[in-house]
Amino acid sequence: MPKVIGYAVLAATFTAYLVVYTTSLGHLPTSFDYLSLLNTALPLVLVAAGQSLVVLTGGIDLSVGGMVGLGVAIMAATSGGGLAASLGWIAVVLAAGLLCGTANGLIVAKGRIAPILTTLATLSVYSGLALKVLPVPGGSVAPEVRAVLTNPDLPTALLWLGLVVAGWLVLRRTRFGMRVYAVGSDETAARAVGVPAARVKVAVYALSGLCSALAAVFYVATTTSGDPNAGTSYILTSIAAVVVGGVAFSGGRGSALGAIAGALSLTLVVDVLFFAGIDPLYQSLFQGLFLVVAVLLGGATLRLRRAAS
Amino acid sequence: MIGPMLERVTPDTRRIAYAVAAAGAILAAGAIVHPGFASWTSLRAMIIVASFIGFVAAGQMLVVLVGGIDLSMPWVLNGAAIVVTTTSLGRTDRLGQAVLAALAVGAAVGLANGLGVAWLGVPAVVMTLGMNGVMEGLSLGLSKGLTCPSCASYVPDPLHRLVVGRLGPVPTELLVWAGVALFVTVLLTFTTFGRRVYAVGTNPRAAFLAGVPVRLVTVVLYTLSGVFAAFAGIALVSYGGQPSLGLGDPYLFESIAAVVVGGVSILGGRGHYAGVVAGSVTLVAIVTLLQAQRVPEYGRDVIYGLVILAILFTYGRERADD
Amino acid sequence: MATLERTDAVRAEGVDRAFGGVQALRGASFAARPGEIHALAGENGAGKSTMIKVLCGLVRPDRGEVSVDGRLAAAFQELSLMPDLTVAENLLLQRPPRGRSGLVARRRLVPEAAALLERFGAEGIPAGAEARALSVAQRQVVELVRALAAEPRVLILDEPTAALAEQQVAWLSAHMRRLRDDGCCVVFTSHRWREIEALADRVTIFRNGTHVTTRERLGETEAVRLMSGRTIAGTYPDITAIRKGPTALCVKNLDGVSFDLQEGEILGIGGLAGQGQRELFLTLFGARKATTGEVALAGKPVTIRHPRHAIRAGIGIAYVPEDRKAEGLLLPLSIRDNLALATLDRRATLGFVRRGAEARAVRDIIERLSVRLRSAGQPVGTLSGGNQQKVLMGRWLLTDARVLLLYDVTRGVDAATKHDFYVLVAELAARGMAVLLYSSETEEIAHLCHRVLVLREGRVTAELAGPVGDAERIVAAAISDKEAGSA
Repeated sequence: MPKVIGYAVLAATFTAYLVVYTTSLGHLPTSFDYLSLLNTALPLVLVAAGQSLVVLTGGIDLSVGGMVGLGVAIMAATSGGGLAASLGWIAVVLAAGLLCGTANGLIVAKGRIAPILTTLATLSVYSGLALKVLPVPGGSVAPEVRAVLTNPDLPTALLWLGLVVAGWLVLRRTRFGMRVYAVGSDETAARAVGVPAARVKVAVYALSGLCSALAAVFYVATTTSGDPNAGTSYILTSIAAVVVGGVAFSGGRGSALGAIAGALSLTLVVDVLFFAGIDPLYQSLFQGLFLVVAVLLGGATLRLRRAAS
Repeated sequence: MIGPMLERVTPDTRRIAYAVAAAGAILAAGAIVHPGFASWTSLRAMIIVASFIGFVAAGQMLVVLVGGIDLSMPWVLNGAAIVVTTTSLGRTDRLGQAVLAALAVGAAVGLANGLGVAWLGVPAVVMTLGMNGVMEGLSLGLSKGLTCPSCASYVPDPLHRLVVGRLGPVPTELLVWAGVALFVTVLLTFTTFGRRVYAVGTNPRAAFLAGVPVRLVTVVLYTLSGVFAAFAGIALVSYGGQPSLGLGDPYLFESIAAVVVGGVSILGGRGHYAGVVAGSVTLVAIVTLLQAQRVPEYGRDVIYGLVILAILFTYGRERADD
Repeated sequence: MATLERTDAVRAEGVDRAFGGVQALRGASFAARPGEIHALAGENGAGKSTMIKVLCGLVRPDRGEVSVDGRLAAAFQELSLMPDLTVAENLLLQRPPRGRSGLVARRRLVPEAAALLERFGAEGIPAGAEARALSVAQRQVVELVRALAAEPRVLILDEPTAALAEQQVAWLSAHMRRLRDDGCCVVFTSHRWREIEALADRVTIFRNGTHVTTRERLGETEAVRLMSGRTIAGTYPDITAIRKGPTALCVKNLDGVSFDLQEGEILGIGGLAGQGQRELFLTLFGARKATTGEVALAGKPVTIRHPRHAIRAGIGIAYVPEDRKAEGLLLPLSIRDNLALATLDRRATLGFVRRGAEARAVRDIIERLSVRLRSAGQPVGTLSGGNQQKVLMGRWLLTDARVLLLYDVTRGVDAATKHDFYVLVAELAARGMAVLLYSSETEEIAHLCHRVLVLREGRVTAELAGPVGDAERIVAAAISDKEAGSA
């Protein structure tokens, strides 16, 4: 079943991780390993969750790169003011993400410009804004923020991951959640039965923007500094995570949970390659193959299922 | 006056007209705010830079015409650029085989993309994204991060002169681009293959039921796309002399932007290379103008994005009903 | 209760609406009252569907007024179920059951939907299945249940019976009458005049995007004249005089089906819907893989694994699909491109199209079929439905096909276009074309075929000599056999 392909891939990658880690270091991974893995994975998990919402409606969001970059820039450029100030700036980052996402949604839904083109153009705009806020890499982050968000000693990351998952489970059980699938499955049909398709679309892009902003906050907390171009790598990896997680590009099939599993798998693959002693230069080669093979397996299981029924 | 005239032209020519008008408008605006912007020297420089976008966009357009997309452009381009210098080692006598090897790399990746999309049913985004990763890994790994002994080679001189040289007042690169444009246009408008491309792009099921070998057409298009990405890589490395890592990165989004600004429908089935040529010039003209006006980098990004949005609002909108 | 100023439940006045360059509605008006069943009839392209969408608020008119009094529910011709959603989600999307937390109680979706289906007498449909897994008829029923369950004051049904079997039509009629008697305003469109006569209290006729007349009583001949603007003589052409030639197509055990088809013969493939007719046609055309069997054309065995093999000169099989827009024509492309597509290689040198030869071929076929157009470069989507049909037939005539596969070509087509089509088929047969014909309207098979094979579960279970004349005999053969098989 393609619905579970994301979890199957995650299970397989995790097993591979355990095997290569244990054989190369002689013991099982420690809780520190798991936590730093999670901390590293969280930004991608968040971006992928937002991306999956958009893809479920049959769209795509390339501007996540710009929105993450803008968030990172704001966080890094305003650090050093203590906890209260940091919280205030986090709120600003989230608001900025929401605003950027809403703009995407409005252009797609009301302006009737294809999602890939809309977000390609806004990617440039948001990346430019990030450069304005933080022209060169730098900045820092308040230690209190780091202690709460990505503490390497306490399982805070697990808590945040749990919250993301819970957030999705709630969303799935709202009428809005049902409408997301309806619009993605057949927009004309959804409109015909009274689903406000334009509002649903604006909302998913806004949520994707919010997720990107959250990802930016966690990114700065993990890396403790900012780079206005930090978001660029999330454009293609978030799409890869969504795909590995079994969300269909045509919309209407899959779930954010799958995308989250996909994001975790992609993060794990990096460590698997590292412990397997693969030359880091060849890393992308295996990630690329991983992506294609995961999707091929998903497609094969789908075909088997169709043939069986 | 213009209304009834536009009624008579087909939607296709109208799209090309829009794209050319957009390029003209940017160039005219540039000439007004920045004297010398539209001078022949300045135009010549722009044409060379625009031609690189034009080459990748030629490939991108071919796959977009059948509703696909090629995300493997950046590292096919970069890989081809590395292959040219490492194979030729800067020697003119090895030029032919170097160019052929680079184009073959592009064709091989494109073929893999096409087979994955058409026969294995992998979504184009996934297949080409994966192949981009594969090419990145191979380029970095085999060249040891561009530190291999032969990686220090330069491109053979004739190639360099072809890109930057002039034939009288005309840049030779413009002639190369004209050749590419002629090839793509003839292929799409005068051959049976071209007719089939538009049929597949409009409705693959109906095309199949009219006897069109849909999968074969798709594979050929992706292969050509790979070849054009490699072609752009050869041109770029010939321009700069030596390859660098990340050379192709800007060209993924540039190629898509040039295609849609050129009036090609992202949904497939509509568009011509003439528009894409205008689209490539438009993109380069915007950036050049902003640079000439000393707009800082952030402002360039913002304005560039907004101008593309404005162009999309003018003629890149999807139909309201159906 | 007889009041002179009875208010209309739905009303549209002076509506204009254009799509691209095509004027779908021009100054069109329509009104229906509470407590009546009102049929909206017209040829294809008369603007019925657009008017329905305007009434439902799905298409905004360019000009004109629309008003609806009370809750409106609708079911559409181009099925509006979301294929990835389950039947339950489709039914309850707008009013899902909620738990105490206020969240959607996903576990209650299927039982509640099942209860709903049962309440409306459609309990055979699995509520937990994805909509894409249902048959066309089942999807139509789900869609109708969704509309009925909304307890509307205005119910609008666009071609509700096109995909339904006899029995389901009776089921729907009962519900429509019940709603009417409760004071609901029911508006529906149909191409089957019998249904309109049986159901409608009033009929409105549309032609060329505008209102022609609204009447309480209207005979079929008069209705057809009003819809088409002309009188049509004798619905079916005489096929008995056509002389048959040697065997054109010989099918042996093709996935269990065997038959011979002679030149000049029109062979009907009957049976209930979905008994393997579509599969047979697609397999013969190479669009679907056969597991067993042999096909011979004019005595020579052939292998056809792709439509292009079927089209190849010397073989010459043509397939005209039911859905002109989805499977036949490339609407945005020109008439020339559409006509030439299947035979490009025959007018090409080294892969280059010989434009002169192409222009001549296109001009000849346009003249032969008298397609009405401005220029051959015009997008085929701007033609009227009947002329689009001609272009599609023209593409296949250009292939010099000797065998013509016609799969439900007249589905949802108006009377005048149908008539032209029957005449064309008879004319082609008279010239030696071998025709295999399937239609969801058994009437057509009964009148237009020299011989009829009845299919059940992919096998031939009866053969009737034609013209059968009486559709009931084919239906009886299909059903009686079904009973015998299941007993």
